Parts: sequence; structure tokens; C-alpha cells
Amino acid sequence: MKRFILLLTLLLVFSLSLMTTGAGPVKIEFWHSMGGHNLQVVQSLVDNFNKTHSNIKVEAQFAGTYEDTLNKTQAAVRTKTAPHIIQIYEIGTQVMIDSGIILPMEDLGKKVANDRSFDWGKFIPAISNYYKVGGKIYSMPFNSSTPLLYYNKNAFRAVGLDPNRPPKTFEELKDYAAKLTIKDKNGNITRYGFTLAIVGWFVEQMVANQDEVLVNNNNGRTGRATEALFTSDAAVRFVKLWAEMVKDGIMINPGRGWEGAKQAFLSGRAAMMIESTAQVNNFEANAKSQGYELGTAFLPCPAGVNRGGVIIGGASLWCIADHPTEELKASWEFLKWLSEADQQVYWFKNTGYFPVTKEAVENVMYERFFAENPNYLTAFMQLNQAKQGYPTQGALIGTFPEVRQLLEGAVEEVLQGKKTPEKALADAASKAKKSFAEYNSLFK
Amino acid sequence: MKREGTKINCNGGKIILNGFNTKKSFPYLLLLPSMLVLLLFLYWPTLQSFSMSLYRQAPFGIRRFFVGLENYINIFTNPEYLSSLWLTIIYALVTISIGLVVSLLMAVLLNQKLRGIKFYRLVFFIPYAISPAVAGALWVFLLNPVAGHVNYFLYKLFGIQPDWFTNGTLAFVAVAIATIWKNMGFNIIFFLAGLQSISESIYESAKIDGSSPTNTLMKITVPLLSPTTFYLITMNIIFSIFESFGTVDIMTQGGPANATNFLVYSLYRDSFINFRPGLAAAQSVILLFLVIITTIVHFRSGGKYVHYQ
Repeated sequence: MKRFILLLTLLLVFSLSLMTTGAGPVKIEFWHSMGGHNLQVVQSLVDNFNKTHSNIKVEAQFAGTYEDTLNKTQAAVRTKTAPHIIQIYEIGTQVMIDSGIILPMEDLGKKVANDRSFDWGKFIPAISNYYKVGGKIYSMPFNSSTPLLYYNKNAFRAVGLDPNRPPKTFEELKDYAAKLTIKDKNGNITRYGFTLAIVGWFVEQMVANQDEVLVNNNNGRTGRATEALFTSDAAVRFVKLWAEMVKDGIMINPGRGWEGAKQAFLSGRAAMMIESTAQVNNFEANAKSQGYELGTAFLPCPAGVNRGGVIIGGASLWCIADHPTEELKASWEFLKWLSEADQQVYWFKNTGYFPVTKEAVENVMYERFFAENPNYLTAFMQLNQAKQGYPTQGALIGTFPEVRQLLEGAVEEVLQGKKTPEKALADAASKAKKSFAEYNSLFK
Repeated sequence: MKREGTKINCNGGKIILNGFNTKKSFPYLLLLPSMLVLLLFLYWPTLQSFSMSLYRQAPFGIRRFFVGLENYINIFTNPEYLSSLWLTIIYALVTISIGLVVSLLMAVLLNQKLRGIKFYRLVFFIPYAISPAVAGALWVFLLNPVAGHVNYFLYKLFGIQPDWFTNGTLAFVAVAIATIWKNMGFNIIFFLAGLQSISESIYESAKIDGSSPTNTLMKITVPLLSPTTFYLITMNIIFSIFESFGTVDIMTQGGPANATNFLVYSLYRDSFINFRPGLAAAQSVILLFLVIITTIVHFRSGGKYVHYQ
């Protein structure tokens, strides 16, 4: 008898748990890739939203890296358990458009939620242009960043360089790095002038900074990319500079991935480096604790070459279409709320990622934030000074993650002396061409 | 309530369950749960891999085309895959041979009757208890060119600072070291068990005959351990082909310039970064056959030299 009662209770509990889906707030699932400190910032934003919106409950979940989120979504779509909102990195834009599972952000706002008051022009053009394809914004800009040159002003002073005159050209970068490199009496290098992580992103940025496109068909913006233009003067010049500086022993090669280079700079093993603007917070804190002055500057450009500018990086928020209208509307409420100035300012101050709307930037400026934190201003000025055009709009490539790996492989081959920059980039370009053709054939 | 349990009577070999004669079906019934797990989580996915390897799929699976053996042809005409195959073979040979020799020597040392020997055995077994990813992370710290302990000592002692992760050969060595270290615990435990099953009297008579320690090791210990060695080789082949993934992913991501891009990592890249499930499925099928073939060859040829007591 006891057993029977136990069974009955269990059944009751089970059936009750199934029934709870009926009433209560609309539940929205949100998968993101913000780990560590930024995870808490996302969570506090979500908590704040839930507190102020009793009819909606957003459940934020850390899904791992951007690649993990993409892969988990692919699996979830098949089992019909996909979340409502996912955070996807900028280079996943084309694959998301082709995925057939998303609802373009403008369609969500205008058609599904029927929201006429939302101003689609409120975003900083340099940011929204990246996510605008065929005149339509496909995803909600969220965490945006660009690369920035960081340098140790104390190291500059120590070798007689003007700390307020950072290198502007490739030639100057090399020259400064040579001066900043220090050897001990045994001839071992104790400090390198410069460091840079082997990350394909930097090649893409340096090509745009020289006002050239990465792939044909206007960076894949006026038609699907079919050719990779890795052997352009811009790309070759940059990889050549990279190889020369490593060979001359004035730049430490920390290998693939972000961590090594960051460690080298933060530990004082390198005096200059290029990293994401999202690191300003972190680097400023390090400079304070280590007792040196941090400087920031625009990406260097070769002398005599017209500057294009930087491309927006980071990630944006995508809406998955296969959900009831009511839930989609709730998703829109959340996304719209996130893009409001207050949330944007909070996000910017706590993470270092750019605020994505004009109003947020204005508010931050009135608070004298930029005047007191000039390194944040450098990041903004660089973004706003970028020429608007195909090079700085960024490439649209279906197989972008693979392209990035190809570029990284090419740089590694050059740095190991296996190939010349021209040869390595040409080989990578021909592999990329094959990959484009294969991808494009799936969507004919 | 009258308690009605299950009565099992062993009645001259006949198993009677609640009076029902289940002599034939009972063993199958016991096997059913594990069979179900195997079917669901092993055989079914394997079959799916087979079928997937014949298709080309768009990301998110909204479109797919039957391409026959095209994926396999692409794989075997890709020079990068072939070099990855060579790399995996060399890696397996290096890690298995060095790993087993070192483990055997360690096991012989740990087989002594010393004070606190159990503690030492435990210490050596610990690496096996941690995950490949943790092992990888640990070695990344140790071999870090700027702040790692290994380079600190190498610099103090010899004035050198090798670039463990930016030089292809060194990166390969680094991953191999981590793998050998990681698998050593497993190998030592099995060697220890093997050593302890060798009768003491054999060693005693060897001593009386005046055999040197090296001679005893080569002529008695190694041959008598051959069943263990045989088993460990098979297991290590599987380890180094499949389980290298975690270590490689944490330590080198297959780089630099593909120097540590082993088969299993190339599969991962194609599946999870390049979004080519068909190509990745074909690679997993190839990997499966590779392991089956090596194991069969190993059983056929190695089996002859195994000496059972």
C-alpha cells in the first residue's frame, strides 16, 4: 500500500510539472557566449529586464564559445528545442542568413511585433552597416568592438620616444619596436617591442585599414563571394611586416589564440600590441596595478597608402523564427529594451564593448566619460573616422570561420619560414576559393 | 499486503523465475539493458555516420544532396588529410613506444617493497584520473614560453627558451609529452598488476643462476608481461587516435601550420568549425576502419609473440 501511495504522489508531481506551462509569464530562452566577468553583466541586464517586465521571463544561458553556440543551435533546431535569441559572432552573419531558421530583425520588429515607433536609424552607422544585408538589418547589434593599438607609455619614455606620438605607419611601428626591444648582457631579449596574436581577424582588419576588400563581389556584399583576394597588396604588405618583425627579433610571436599575446603585453614582455577595444577595461586596470601609463592609438597603416578604417567585430543577437507569435513578440520586447540608451551605457561601462546607439554615445559624452577616459575615446574616434564603404563594411562569407583558420595557417607557415608571404597567401586563397564554390553550390 | 518477491531457485542448473522456466531467455533478458544502450548510443549513430558520409549538407541541415562517394574521394585526394594521416601514425608510434617503455620502468620501480610505496603508486596514477583537457591546460601552463616553469628551468640551466607552441616540431613534442604523461598512470597500473602476477620463485631461481638485473628484466619480466603489453598496445592505439582530441584542442588547436592536426582533430574542425557534416562523417568512418584494421593486424601478428604462463 505504501508503495502505491508513493507511486501516486510521484505521478501527481510529474503531471503537475507538465501543467505549469499554461499560465504565467512568457518564457524566452537566450543563449549567449559571454563568459567570465561579462557573464555577470549579461545576467544583471537580464535580471533587470525580468524585474521590470512581469509578463516576460528571459532565461539567459551561457552556451560556450561562439562556435559552441552555433553548433548547439544546429542540434537544437533539429530537435525543435531551439532558443528564441542567440548571440552569434559577426563572421557567422552569412551562414545565419542562409540557415533558413532565423527571422530578420527588421521583420521581427516591423511585421511580427508591428512596432512602428522603433527608430532603425538610431544605431551608429559603422555598426549597423555590418549587419545590414540587402538594405535590411538582420540582427540586433549587441557587443561590438574593433582592434586598437595599445602601448606602454613608460616604456616609450624610457627609450626616449615621445609617449604622445604613437606609431602611425608600418614603418614607424617597426622602427619603434626596434627601439623598444631590450636585451640583457647575454644577448637574451628581455622585452620585445611588439606582439600580436595569430588571429585571422587582424589580417581582415589590416586589409580594411588599407581600404581594400578581402573577397570579391565588393566583399560579398553585392553577390556571393567566389574569390578570396588574399594576395592583394594590402594583405601581403601586412603579413610581410609581421614576418620581418618576428625575424628581426623585435616582435614576440605568441602563437595562435588570444591569451599568449595578452600575457606578453600585460607581463611587460612586449611594449606594444594590437588587441580588441573590449580589452580597454582590463588593460587600464592592469596598468594601474602595475604602475605604468597605458596609451592607445589607431591601427598603423603603411606610409603612402590611403587609410580605410576598422571593421566592427564582436557579435549580434539573432531571432530564431520557429516559435509562437506571442513568444516572438516577447523576444522583440527584450531586444528593443537592450538597445535602449540606459542599458547600452551600462553595458559599455561594464564590459568595454561599444554602446551601439547614437543616444548612448551622446549620454556617455555628456557625463564627461570620454574626457576622463581618453583611451575609450581613441576606440570611438577610430570607428567613427572609418571610411564608409565595402572594405570597412566587412566581408560576408558563408564559410568565414574556415577562412579565418586558413589565414591563421598561412601566417603560421610564413612565420615558420616554410613559405613566402605571397605563396602562403596564394595557397590560402585557392583553398578559400574551393570552399566558397562548395558552399555556394548548396544555395543555388 | 503479502510480499511477493522474485524467487530464484538454482535447481540443478535450471533457473526458475516465479515458476517460469527461463533457462534460454533469461541470459538475454539480462543482456537487454546494455544491448539497448549500445544500440541507441553506439550502433545507431555509427549507422547514421555511414549514411551521412554519402551526403553533402548545408549548415543547419536545411538542404542536403546525395553525393555518393564524393566525400571519400575528396578526403583521399586532399594532401592535407594525407599528411594528417602520417602525422597521426608517427604520433601513435612515438607516444606508444616511449610511453610503454617509461611506464614499464616506472612499474618495475614501483613494484619494490618500500615504505610508503602505496603513496608513490597513487601519485603516479593521478594523471590518468584527470581529463585530457585538464592535462592539456596543465601542460600549457608548464610550457608557456613567457611564464612557464619548464622554460624557467631550461633558461636557468642552459640559457635556452624554446618556443613550445609556435614551432611545429616542438608543438608536436609538447603534445606527445602531455599524452605520454597522461596515459602513464593507466599503463603503470596494468604493468604493476602484471608484475605482481609473476611468481617470485622465477626471480629467485634467476638470482641463483647469477642473472644480472638487466638480464632478468629483458629475459624474464618483459616476456612474462607480454599479455599485459599486448593489451596495453591495443588500448594505447585507441587512446592516441581518439583521445588525443582534448589535449590537442587545449594545447595547440591543431597548429601551428597543421603540425598537430591529427585525424580526430581534422574531423572536429570539419564538423564543428567548417560546418561540413558529410565530410566529417566520412572521416569518422575512415577512422573507425583504421582502428578496426590496426587492431586486427595487431591481434594477428602480435598474438604470436604473447607468452601466456
